[in-house]
Amino acid sequence: MRMDIKKKLLLVAIPLLVAGCGNQEQGPKISQSQEPPVAVESIAVLAVKDDGGEVLLVPAKAIFHKGELSGVFVVGADNRLTVRWISTGRSMNNDFVVLSGLDKEERVVGSYSPALHEGVTVIKSVTAEDQTNE
Amino acid sequence: MNDGIAGKLAKQFINSKITPLLMVASLLVGIMATFMTPREEEPQIVVPMVDLYIPYPGATPGEVELRVAKPVERTLTEIPGVDYVYSTSMPDFAVVTVRYKVGEDAEKSMVKLWSTLMKNMDKMPSGVQFPLMKKVSIDDVPVLNLTFWSKTKDPFELRKTAVEVADELKKIKNIGDVEIKGGLKRQVKIVLNKEKLQQYNVSPLQIARQVQVANSQMTAGDFKQTNQEIIVRSGRFLENASDVGNIVVGIYGASPVYLRDVASVVDGPEEVNNYNFFGWAAAAPNGSATGEYPAVTLTVAKRQGSDASKLADKVLARVDGLKKSSIPAGVTVSETRNYGATATDKVTTLLEHLLMAVVAVTIVVGFFLGWRGALVVLASVPITFALTLLIYYLLDYSLNRVTLFALIFVTGIVVDDSIIIAENIHRHFAMKRQPKLQAAITAINEVGNPTILATFTVIAAVLPMVFVSGLMGPYMSPMPIGASLAMIFSLLVALIATPWLSFRLLKTEEGHHEEYDITKTGYYKLFNTILTPFIESSFKRWLAFGVVGLMLVGAIALVPLKAVQMKMLPFDNKNEFQVIVDMPEGTALEQTARVTKEISAYLKTVPEVRSYQYYVGTNAPINFNGLVRHYYLRQAKNMGDIQVNLVPKDERKAQSHDIAKKVRAGVQQIAMRYNANAKIVEIPPGPPVMSTLVAEIYGPSQEQQIALAKQVKKVFEETPGVVDVDWMVESDQKVFNLVVNKERAAFRGVTAEQIAQTLRMSLAGMDVGVLHTDKELEPVTIQVRLPQSDRTSLQDLSGIFVQSQGMGTLTTRLRAGEMIPLSELVKVEEKIQDKSIYRKDLRRVVYVTADVAGATESPVYAMLDMDKKIEKLKVPGGYSVSPLYTANPTSEDKLSMKWDGEWQITFEVFRDLGTAFAVVLVIIYLLIIGWFQSFKTPLIMMIAIPLSLVGIIPGHMLHGAFFTATSMIGMIALAGIMVRNSVLLIDFIQIRRAEGAGLKQAVIESAAVRTRPIILTSGAVVIGSIVMLFDPIFQGLAISLIWGGVLSTILTLVVVPIVYYMVEKKSAKP
Repeated sequence: MRMDIKKKLLLVAIPLLVAGCGNQEQGPKISQSQEPPVAVESIAVLAVKDDGGEVLLVPAKAIFHKGELSGVFVVGADNRLTVRWISTGRSMNNDFVVLSGLDKEERVVGSYSPALHEGVTVIKSVTAEDQTNE
Repeated sequence: MNDGIAGKLAKQFINSKITPLLMVASLLVGIMATFMTPREEEPQIVVPMVDLYIPYPGATPGEVELRVAKPVERTLTEIPGVDYVYSTSMPDFAVVTVRYKVGEDAEKSMVKLWSTLMKNMDKMPSGVQFPLMKKVSIDDVPVLNLTFWSKTKDPFELRKTAVEVADELKKIKNIGDVEIKGGLKRQVKIVLNKEKLQQYNVSPLQIARQVQVANSQMTAGDFKQTNQEIIVRSGRFLENASDVGNIVVGIYGASPVYLRDVASVVDGPEEVNNYNFFGWAAAAPNGSATGEYPAVTLTVAKRQGSDASKLADKVLARVDGLKKSSIPAGVTVSETRNYGATATDKVTTLLEHLLMAVVAVTIVVGFFLGWRGALVVLASVPITFALTLLIYYLLDYSLNRVTLFALIFVTGIVVDDSIIIAENIHRHFAMKRQPKLQAAITAINEVGNPTILATFTVIAAVLPMVFVSGLMGPYMSPMPIGASLAMIFSLLVALIATPWLSFRLLKTEEGHHEEYDITKTGYYKLFNTILTPFIESSFKRWLAFGVVGLMLVGAIALVPLKAVQMKMLPFDNKNEFQVIVDMPEGTALEQTARVTKEISAYLKTVPEVRSYQYYVGTNAPINFNGLVRHYYLRQAKNMGDIQVNLVPKDERKAQSHDIAKKVRAGVQQIAMRYNANAKIVEIPPGPPVMSTLVAEIYGPSQEQQIALAKQVKKVFEETPGVVDVDWMVESDQKVFNLVVNKERAAFRGVTAEQIAQTLRMSLAGMDVGVLHTDKELEPVTIQVRLPQSDRTSLQDLSGIFVQSQGMGTLTTRLRAGEMIPLSELVKVEEKIQDKSIYRKDLRRVVYVTADVAGATESPVYAMLDMDKKIEKLKVPGGYSVSPLYTANPTSEDKLSMKWDGEWQITFEVFRDLGTAFAVVLVIIYLLIIGWFQSFKTPLIMMIAIPLSLVGIIPGHMLHGAFFTATSMIGMIALAGIMVRNSVLLIDFIQIRRAEGAGLKQAVIESAAVRTRPIILTSGAVVIGSIVMLFDPIFQGLAISLIWGGVLSTILTLVVVPIVYYMVEKKSAKP
């Protein structure tokens, strides 16, 4: 409403050329929240395994479920977490075959914990067990 | 002087008791109409468009085209009123879109279409299934979207909640379609276990059949007993998952095999087929959750002709009520679209603008005529508008931005009649030559008839705009109709109410008492000094004409110099836009979700974005644009839509178009990384088109068309200012074609159909019925399929069996029921999926699409730019392809290209407006000939028309605005206004000459006397238009009226009298 009054004033002043506009812009309030990094036990690097065709494996413990959705936490280049929804195929030992949603060589949090959420930075507490099941 | 019509009318009403009553009554009905007329943001546009979906299972695109699309198109083009026929032939089915000429009755068109289609159904090849016919209507666009999201609930639970709420909402009056986007439905999944099936010797097809037969119940009949009818019923429906599990699907050994033995029966959410997430972004309200949450959207459409804002309020109130019952605590309901609120907002703002325009005009009048005169004018405006609003209501128009703009547009014009009458009465009162009543009537008589003529010239100017054809027509038609109506009412008000008011309000006492002498007024002195040199020296006269001519040429030259660019309509400032993500065909759902999510994460950081919601695997709720572009078909796994909601426009500095431009680079950078195509889609200000820039490529074969399209696409990409380049050619998708070995199948007693069905059931799953439960609002399907882990590769197919029907020959004997592995019967061929075939108006076409932003905002310039490059392209055969603009290619033997998209509409609109303008000039000419009985005089008057260009074009340059369709409307309307000024001017000269004044004297006197009303009326137009400068769309109209009005008024006052003098000099007595 404030702007309308402003406009009216402008109009009454016969401002042929000025198109006044705008209030104070609201600054961004929520950006990346600066939370302290969370330690995770392991970060698995996804590797391809040959099983009569190339398959990508993800540790079973890394997968969490939201109803019917299955997801993993992917660790980005900046060590920030993002949720990635995936679809999984059959299980092989302690792993699941990933059918879609992940690329090889991507890093995922090796074991899911409810404390994790999108946007936090993670650091490895224990040495990473490499998931390259060659 | 005899009393004209005007004088007679005025005499009747000037002292009548009925006049004030009429005024009050008009005001009252107008106020009532304002409240009763439904409010909308966009005008009600009937898009007579029908989609036909014709399934032809198993056919390739080529076959679909040849057997279905082509014959259907041919028969449809026979229907009168059909404008365009488009078709897309895809594997397994065809979509044919029929576009009628705008204005055709939707229901009648449907009937015609239906009967034509039915007449030709017998000619369809067997295998073609019954077509589905869907009318596309503006009322399919939801007016209210509610997003149900939750930190704790999953999509399945969310959908359940949304369905319950939807069921409740459906009870509200005037509600249209209520739809739910996203979430997962409840489903009973029969997940087959391959090993068990083999072990118990049961085939998937057998299971499907058993479930279907078990799920039946019917009334068997009745019998009579002791005078009573007893009904016999048999069978029982499946009511829950354990019922399904208990179905006997076969016999193994001596014991029955239950379904639960060979498959697991799961009652729960269906398999994931969409990802729908909601998140607050940078400009979210304080304390909002920062994450991204599963969401389900409930969309509410309204019934035709109902008020969007009232419906939205009712729905929201109802939802609030449900928060205690149906909506669980963890679920948040956010309003992600409310066209009701935006409509109210728009209508309120426009009504405010209208008020401001009226006030501004009144103040201007007040300067010249004093507060009493201003009051007379002020009183006449509401009456005019009240009556116009009443007519809107009666004609079933809604209050929307176009109808209201029509009112703002005419504010400056409708006061004119009252101003002229009031001014003249004022002048006559001041002259004090006659008693008061007599003076008033003389005054009215003097200007009455030219006023009537002038009003009709203005109507003649705006009314031909009704004839703008195409989709733009309905956008524009309320303008001329509203404006013409308002003009007629304003004339009536000026002749009936204004005299009554003037007679009572205007004072005669003020002013000097000596005999009125025109030569002593300031105006006379002014014009005497200005006009005399030109009248006396023909050299100076010609010099003046030369200068004016030069100005005109200079102004027009600005257009080819690109100082002023032409564009159909500029972008409006909206509160939303969409991002459309297309992954290459064959991309998995999760991969699409990932890219869409990443783009959303970027959008989340944009400071003006309030919230976002992405839809993958299902389309986002459509808007009017999506309706025309068929975005509701975007439900494939490789498609994602992001709905971006911005902070309300009065809380941000940037226009939505600028925000869209700003984010484009960031969005496309992410998309590029994944080989995706992301487009920023804004809500167009006018009628939507497939894309702003569309190149249609025709040619002898699809390969050649695609080859040329590829080159054209490259040209598009290399041209600065051309963005969002895409084409309608699918990327190569791998297909495993399982070819049935017919001989082997025959020997094994298996039919091809069995194989096809088994495969389909295993991979895609097959719905075998619904659960008959009365608690669920949505049907719960029972689906048979393999678990996802068993359908990931071709090897998995080896474990699937079909049951032999039995086979006996002299040499072999195969008993029925033998299980044959599928892998034995089929051979795998890997190939590339056939591309969809697009056709338009019976020709095969390949589309290349793009948008313009940044370097050029107007497609026409980009097109001209690219024309040269396209002509240089090498095509087989060695000829050059020169893009066509208006006509379709004459033959398909050679490759050719035609521009379409916004250009097509621009062309149509400017063509129609140009024609309208020509007609306007002729009508005005005829009207004035009729009045002045001279062939020459009208031409003098019409000199003022081109003079307006001197103001209009540089005005656009000053504002850095585009010359748009609304600018053109302004120009046309101005022609009427300017001619009216000339009419008033020359009419007075002739009156004075008839009274015996010399030519020179008459000319100068007329200029002096008429300056005040002319400046007043033009001033009113100019001041009334200022409010429109703030609206992105109608800015052009405002600039035309303001700058054109100012410049041509000044020039008219000087040039027209001089020309008149020059022409009449010879015939006049010295």
